[in-house]
Amino acid sequence: MLEIAPLAKSGADLAVGTKPHIGAIIGRPVTLSPAAPHSRWSLRARDPALLGSALGRALPDRIGTVLDGIARLGPDEWYALLEAGTALPVLTGLPVSVVDVSARALGFTVSGEGARLALERGCPLDLARLAPGSATRTVFETVEIQVWPTAPDAFHIEVWRSFAPWLWHALAEAIV
Amino acid sequence: MTGYRLPAGGRIDRHRTINFRFDGRDYQGFAGDTLASAMAGAGIVLVGRSFKYHRPRGLLGIGSEECNALVSINRGAARVTPNVRSTQVWLYPGLNAISQNRWPSLRWDVVALNDVFAPLFPAGFYNKTFMWPRSAWEKLYEPVIRRLAGLGESPVERDPDHYDATYAHCEVLVVGGGRAGIDAALAAAQSGGRVILIDEGDELGGGALADPAQWPVLMALKQELYSCSNVMVLTRTTAFGFYHQNFIGATQQLTDYLEPAVSQGAREKLWRIRAGEVVLAQGAIERPLVFNGNDVPGVMLASAARSLALRFGVAVGRQVVVMAAHDSGWHDALAMAAAGVTIAAIIDVRHVVSGDLAEAARAMGIAVHTGAAITRVAGRHAVKGVTFASDGTGPSRRIACDTVLMAGGWTPSVHLWSHAKGSLVWSDAWGAYLPGTALENTRAVGACAGEWDFGAGVVTAVLPNALPVRSQTAFVDFQNDVKARDIHLAVQEGFRSIEHIKRYTTNGMATDQGKTSNLNGLQIASEALGRPVSDIGLTTFRPPYTPQTFGALLGHHKGALFQPVRKSVIDDWANLQGAVFENVGNWRRARYFPQGGEDMHSAVLRECTAVRERVGVFDASTLGKIEVVGPDAAEFLNRMYTNPWKGLAPGRCRYGLLLREDGFIIDDGVSARLADDRFHLTTTTGGAARVLNMMEDYLQTEWPDLDVWLTSTTEQWAVIALQGPRARDVIAPLVEGIDLSPAAFPHMAVREGTIAGVPTRLFRVSFTGELGFEINVPADQGRKVWDAVLRSGGAHGISPYGTEAMHVLRAEKGFIIVGQDTDGTMTPYDMGLDWAVGKKKPDFVGKRSLARPDMSAPGRKQFIGLLTERPQDLLEEGAQVVLDPTAPVPVPMIGHVTSAYHSVALGRTIALAVIADGRARIGEMVFIPMPDTVIRATVTAPVFHDPEGSRLNA
Repeated sequence: MLEIAPLAKSGADLAVGTKPHIGAIIGRPVTLSPAAPHSRWSLRARDPALLGSALGRALPDRIGTVLDGIARLGPDEWYALLEAGTALPVLTGLPVSVVDVSARALGFTVSGEGARLALERGCPLDLARLAPGSATRTVFETVEIQVWPTAPDAFHIEVWRSFAPWLWHALAEAIV
Repeated sequence: MTGYRLPAGGRIDRHRTINFRFDGRDYQGFAGDTLASAMAGAGIVLVGRSFKYHRPRGLLGIGSEECNALVSINRGAARVTPNVRSTQVWLYPGLNAISQNRWPSLRWDVVALNDVFAPLFPAGFYNKTFMWPRSAWEKLYEPVIRRLAGLGESPVERDPDHYDATYAHCEVLVVGGGRAGIDAALAAAQSGGRVILIDEGDELGGGALADPAQWPVLMALKQELYSCSNVMVLTRTTAFGFYHQNFIGATQQLTDYLEPAVSQGAREKLWRIRAGEVVLAQGAIERPLVFNGNDVPGVMLASAARSLALRFGVAVGRQVVVMAAHDSGWHDALAMAAAGVTIAAIIDVRHVVSGDLAEAARAMGIAVHTGAAITRVAGRHAVKGVTFASDGTGPSRRIACDTVLMAGGWTPSVHLWSHAKGSLVWSDAWGAYLPGTALENTRAVGACAGEWDFGAGVVTAVLPNALPVRSQTAFVDFQNDVKARDIHLAVQEGFRSIEHIKRYTTNGMATDQGKTSNLNGLQIASEALGRPVSDIGLTTFRPPYTPQTFGALLGHHKGALFQPVRKSVIDDWANLQGAVFENVGNWRRARYFPQGGEDMHSAVLRECTAVRERVGVFDASTLGKIEVVGPDAAEFLNRMYTNPWKGLAPGRCRYGLLLREDGFIIDDGVSARLADDRFHLTTTTGGAARVLNMMEDYLQTEWPDLDVWLTSTTEQWAVIALQGPRARDVIAPLVEGIDLSPAAFPHMAVREGTIAGVPTRLFRVSFTGELGFEINVPADQGRKVWDAVLRSGGAHGISPYGTEAMHVLRAEKGFIIVGQDTDGTMTPYDMGLDWAVGKKKPDFVGKRSLARPDMSAPGRKQFIGLLTERPQDLLEEGAQVVLDPTAPVPVPMIGHVTSAYHSVALGRTIALAVIADGRARIGEMVFIPMPDTVIRATVTAPVFHDPEGSRLNA
């Protein structure tokens, strides 16, 4: 009989790497690194102008684009990825929602000539069409992520904290 | 031994011999061979046993249509792959193939007795015979039948290989690398977009590989293709499924064609390709002819024999007879004769054949018999000769031969086209269905579109024979052993639709999905029913096109990467303490913290004692959390939850009960109002995603007018639950900015301040019945605060406790766990939670359903406590409760135990249960029958400890 490993044991020892993982995928160099801490905010509003003026910040207009560290993820949803320690005003009495989610996610950087190949293994998006300055929420296999291309061969990845060890290893597995 | 290697020709490398093994004997082939061609070249005719009758079988085809020559490939004990088509196994040194479905040997197979009694095993035999007794199915019939009628055996060791997977995108995907596919890929490449060309063979070319005249052109085209930087060519890759919106699943072999010693890396790669346009160039598969004796080893498709001769340099036999209904058989025979294969005769069921063909055949010394059909094939393990007759019924003649080639015309491969729900149109000329209108941006080209000239032919059902069909051994589906007579029988028994005939006879239901049998089955059914083929319908092709390995479908999801295991930020600490973990949803949580060899029972008793007498600390980080923000936040919660929310003051908490639309409890949790327009909700650990989805669903579809937004904050906050009489003392030195005094900070309140210097949302709540706090801090600071709490708690005898103690402590108080004490059919009233239902509220999710008479009818199960007569008897969760254990079986059951624990507070066991009219039975004796005994218990209220709640408000 095959011994069946219980779930609690199978992936329990995985942890997010603390140093860059450097290697190649199909001969093309890739580096997977933990990103620096960030300040993260989930921003929601029906009226973008109201949200922008209440925050005192310009918001990106097109869904899937980034302006000054804020990505528009949907018609009424923005995500701010700002320098650590940056605080946004917590507004009350307005039809907007500003929620601090700085500790909810971790960031990775995937860079190098093979970066896109590394992400394509589990991400169903056509990443070749995702230029720097865009950002979108998607999945890597079963795990929700955000992909922020930062340069032609570099991506910032956002992933919820408890899924980060799995994602780190799922990405690192192919970078040899 | 009939097949042999021709002295010249083929695409094999005759300078590189390759040794391989089949059923323990050593043979030789050449580089460029498939296992099938190498076996044929080595003179092996008998390659397998059939599925049901265990009949000896030989090679039929040359590609993915092969239905007989299935073998197991042994690359080590853990790497045995059963049911592989030998036509798609590329030869490597030391390849070890084993025949299947025979015992003790391929030649002497005991179960072949099935064949002797074949008349007793018609279609539907198993269904009709093994009807009763019902119990015998499981123990006798099913295992025995399974053993007799199986394919290869799966390995019993863990698969040591790993499998890769990727997504890919292109503007044009071409499936099939024959001439039509290559042309389509080159044309697509001109437009500059990304092009992917997939082919299941080891080299591009398809049918052209069996036509040396085309080789120079083929080479030039291939060079052109490989020089296009925007074209990716994937060989040894099978497109197995065509899914919605031009999404194609394909599996690429990476190592199976290599010697195990030199294979490295992943074994297979799953390609998930999204294409702007899909061009299907799958080609066509030659149809066998259905005649008496058509499954004797040595009877095969003419196209396969041609391919063996011209691509692999193998003559299939020394005396070859062709049975044709189509010109392509003649073309193949002439090409083989030119390559040095002896064609003894061509028999054609047609009376008139193109003069050119007949002349060419005669010129090569081939005897030609038109208007005739084979009526019998001599030989059991190999063909010895054929008998044929004019129109099948005239005077018989015999020809000695060792091979019979069937040329029944061509069936365009519309498999992927059908997966994509493209329409099909019957073509009389082809005797097959051709692609009609596409649903996706997809087109078919080449032979699979009916755009190929194979010559002319007639479409036949069963070849004419003086013998009635029921007395013939004329196979339609070779892999599932379906004969023409089985289809006649199905029609006789009243089946009219091909879907029913298919299921009754199992025609086309083998692993080859009827690649060679579907159309013949249709023709035979059509003839037997006297109705046109297009009236009988067509069975549906479903993915996969060919069987795929589970490994390829799993991709990365294996071992530690099988599924994400979610861990809180305090998990590392728990792990260091030697905690025993359990899975809750896909979180792992510390269940208990054994000390010095304690078992769970003692550890949990100790942890419970610490909470009741001193203070315990618990990692509650996995609780689902949702931040609800906006002017309409209170209105929204008021509509979602059963209880009123609008009057809740900022700084206060409330227990919320969530129902589905059907009125049954789906989740619960304590939530806090932080400001007029901001709430901090909590959900159960397992219910977090479900609750957020449900709330988002209502918000977007029912109440899009509400100005309120939901943000998942489960992972933003680490939650440290501190419970016990000394809880306040532990945090007092750590907390700043919050007045912890009972008057300023009562039970069910929330305050914001700092703890150990970290900003916190501090809840005063309790799931244990003791004075309690839940410390919410940003997750990245969770471990720091946890450590500070432990240090501060040292003086107070603090003890960590796990989910098991948490369960016991809450059960002592009768707090429910949704999903354990409820089962998706319990109302608030059933659970004694009607206090949490706002009677005056105009509406909430589930309110209307609660008003249905059945939802409050007598006889519903109600949540109660059980105390066993013997205090140390522990009931089993899930055990059934009865009123009279002596009643005749089946004993009426009135409910079941939902929770049962040893309670340290009570010094005895306690249990929670749901039983019919439970609250009216308080004080009554009930019975819980167990396998070896019957346990007696008294029904009680579900609160066992401190029913007044005095400890809570300490």
